[in-house]
Amino acid sequence: MKLTQVLNRQHIGFMFKKHWLVQGKRVPIDTGVEDYLKAKGIPVEDALEFVSEKPKPHGRVNVVGYYEQPLPLDENHPEYKEKPCYTLKSTNVLLEGISQAQVLTKTIIAENKLPPKIEELAEIAAPKAIHENVKKAILSANIFDCEQKKLPKIKDPERPAYNFRRILGITDRRRNEILTNRLLQLIEKSSDTEVTQTKYVLNNVKSQATFDKDDELFQFHEVSNILVTSNRPVKHDTEKNIPFVEIPNLYPIKHTVTLSQEHFYNESSKYPIKTSVAMKHPHTTWLHFNNTEVSNIYETPVTPMQILGRSLTHAFGVATSYAKQLYGEDVKDLPEPVHINCIETDGQRFHFGVLELNTLNVDGNEGTKNVWYCKNDMKMYDSSCYLSGIPVLENYNPEVYGYINAFYNC
Amino acid sequence: MYRWKIHRFYLKRLSRQYSQVALQNEYSETPEYPPIMDNSLQARKSRKRESLFEKIKKLDTVEEKQIALNMPRYYGWQCVMLHEDTIPYNAMPMIKCYTRSHFIPVENLPNAYADTAVAAGEISKEVKTYIEDAIVMETDGLERDFILSNEKPINVVKEDTIARSIVKQVNRIISNHLGEKVPHLLSAQVDYDPRHEAFWFVGGVDIPTSVFKWRKKYSWYKNRLDENVDRPVQYLGSPFVALRSRLPLKPLIPYSEAENPDFKVPKFSFGPQNVGYFSRFRYGTNIPGFWPGDYDEFGFLSYHGRGHILARNNYGPDDNIEALHCQAMKSSFGWLLAQSNYQGFTTYNDLTYPLITQTVITNGQLWSFYAYQLNTVVMHNENMDLNPKHNICFGTKPLKLYETIEDGKVKGLNEEVLKMLIQFYLNTPEEREHDLKPYLGKEDQVVADIVDDNKRCWLEDTYKHLVSNRPRHFLPPETYLWEKIYKIQHNTRFHEARRRPFELDINPFQRRLNEHLPPYIPKVLRPYPRSKKKFETTYYPDV
Repeated sequence: MKLTQVLNRQHIGFMFKKHWLVQGKRVPIDTGVEDYLKAKGIPVEDALEFVSEKPKPHGRVNVVGYYEQPLPLDENHPEYKEKPCYTLKSTNVLLEGISQAQVLTKTIIAENKLPPKIEELAEIAAPKAIHENVKKAILSANIFDCEQKKLPKIKDPERPAYNFRRILGITDRRRNEILTNRLLQLIEKSSDTEVTQTKYVLNNVKSQATFDKDDELFQFHEVSNILVTSNRPVKHDTEKNIPFVEIPNLYPIKHTVTLSQEHFYNESSKYPIKTSVAMKHPHTTWLHFNNTEVSNIYETPVTPMQILGRSLTHAFGVATSYAKQLYGEDVKDLPEPVHINCIETDGQRFHFGVLELNTLNVDGNEGTKNVWYCKNDMKMYDSSCYLSGIPVLENYNPEVYGYINAFYNC
Repeated sequence: MYRWKIHRFYLKRLSRQYSQVALQNEYSETPEYPPIMDNSLQARKSRKRESLFEKIKKLDTVEEKQIALNMPRYYGWQCVMLHEDTIPYNAMPMIKCYTRSHFIPVENLPNAYADTAVAAGEISKEVKTYIEDAIVMETDGLERDFILSNEKPINVVKEDTIARSIVKQVNRIISNHLGEKVPHLLSAQVDYDPRHEAFWFVGGVDIPTSVFKWRKKYSWYKNRLDENVDRPVQYLGSPFVALRSRLPLKPLIPYSEAENPDFKVPKFSFGPQNVGYFSRFRYGTNIPGFWPGDYDEFGFLSYHGRGHILARNNYGPDDNIEALHCQAMKSSFGWLLAQSNYQGFTTYNDLTYPLITQTVITNGQLWSFYAYQLNTVVMHNENMDLNPKHNICFGTKPLKLYETIEDGKVKGLNEEVLKMLIQFYLNTPEEREHDLKPYLGKEDQVVADIVDDNKRCWLEDTYKHLVSNRPRHFLPPETYLWEKIYKIQHNTRFHEARRRPFELDINPFQRRLNEHLPPYIPKVLRPYPRSKKKFETTYYPDV
């Protein structure tokens, strides 16, 4: 007896493997039916005659999905342009951070200085009940929300190949959404009805700002995670006699560095709210810094300077798209400055800024400049997490709420 | 090897090592007999179940109770999945039975809302224009991108996206307007897209044919071939917006009315797969949108979408309205059941007081309003027939908030609809006079209260791991098809050693949650000087 026979009986894998091989070698046995039929005078036909015809090839079926598929990105695409456009998306950051943002937007910075009205409003102490609710919001965003999604992989630089257990929890996107929306709800509920009725709150709206600088085309794609609009443009009394941080010289780096060059783009600017709407004027735009989504195009981690630069480009993007909707696409020096408030947060640190947009002519470093008033790096709390099974909120800083409230009410 | 060792260890401990002196006062004047108990199989089984329910009731914390519900199944329960937005044709009888809800169709809100009608009418006049502006803005005034996916048709995505933003605006406008006048709104927590999940057992459902055939093989099943087994049911849903408050709402009808025989719900004994609800293996979870320990534990109002109606097979408007009622009953029951679980009740330990929630289903233009009173959550085994209590759901048809939008203006805004919505907001939660958490511990109500560090951390980790329902590291056991053909149906491999579970008469799915080796402690990490303890302690609830 051959070994294969035993193996085939014992091992299901071998058996199936050998099955075709064995069966394929079988020789048809002559059963004698053909002779018998012929003797009876019944015609016998060859079966192969009936299968000689080749099967017809079927055409490709056009599968219709739930929505129209996007066009292929080639030279026939309606948005294809020869000239590249330097594009900054909300998931990208500038290499040089705030300095590069200054050059791109032709902005001077008043550091640690906000318009006096905001500073005044920020000093008004909120009642204790409000702060209790703020704490509830922080706990809810960091601890009590039930999202259980994969968090980023944990890596130990000492042992880079070690696989830690993947932790499920609240993603940074969800945490920021909950925290900022809760804070805004709280401010609105505790404000006068007359104030809230003149404001409107939008979530995740996109603006697109296109502008020229030194004969090159730039585009900022911005997502306002919360956009507070009002029925009249926000105005700030600003001081001119303060030490400004002038526009730096980036040499040897060019200001277009790390901006991706796109060939498929729409040349116009887009402000998300139509002109017919009464409450279209942008008041405050909230920007989330989600660590898992925003990154450098190279693998280096995002630096604090780059996060600050993001605030400025974001505020500039939203303000520009609004100004272009207001005054037309070709406007250069604005007849009246456009002000916009900007709050950037990673769920713990808050960066406040007010942009005074004076000009959209950002060529060179001379002439009218835009002004960015900012107060950065305010920590709302030190940590908030489950500490060996107990929910913890450490070192709550009530000052931050004052500024957020002031930004809403100014 | 390991099991055998433990066995030997316990044998040593348990065997009597000393002699005991007989008690002096062994005899009493009148004989004390043990209670006479029914020793039929049913009665014995019932007693065993009761002891389990009693053990779960006595557990201190919410999380331990949730783990206890999952203790009998290592690979999770085979749950009937009730997704919020899957409603097959003619699902109403089943949903009514599974949620034990008596549905009362109404034109206006129930009588409990009568005293806020006037105030709500005035407020609706005040906020009317702002609501109109918001509707126009959200439907017409914005350029927005829709997140397209292959899971939902584009019209469903569009309707739900617009409805979600209209709901956010309406909630914002009404809350801001009432914020100063109505204090409970100021402290209420607003959740966007929270996670609502609920788990319970339903008895009285017919067994499938396969189980019937299997039972026929055994003599001890002779007289109970078609005896019912419980079906675990899992609800999964996510409203657009949900409001929570610290105190529960007032009952819509007195609690005693829950036993009113008029509210009796017809039994639905057909299998759920006949309607179009299918099952999946997973751990049962009860989650009302927050983890145990949050301050605001009682649901107040939730807004749900109705985009799924567009993707349903169309069997006419009546069927669609029934589908909305089903959605409302499922989501209201699911949310309230999860809340009641955080108060220490489970599907085995019934509520001692009613819980109330308000549900709105909308696409921005059509609004349906539901008020739900949860009176009972027990419907396992014989309780399906014997439990006298029922839940009550009042619900309206979809009502049009406005007729059309023309030239950037809302035409024909229906103030009555707005009034109903505002009445929901004016419904004030109240302090109850009774104990809200009778089955939770006095000191430890959630795991975070436990003093023992190891126990607290272990329970916290285990609970979060369980409710995340993440897949196990190893695949669940399976009978391969070839085994079914060559080993079960035809005995062709009789010479092989019998090692597979089905050859040893073991059902691997009967394994209990704690039937596994605890994590090993490496020698270097064991406490000094010498510790024989090789494995870490586990704190599974003893049920």
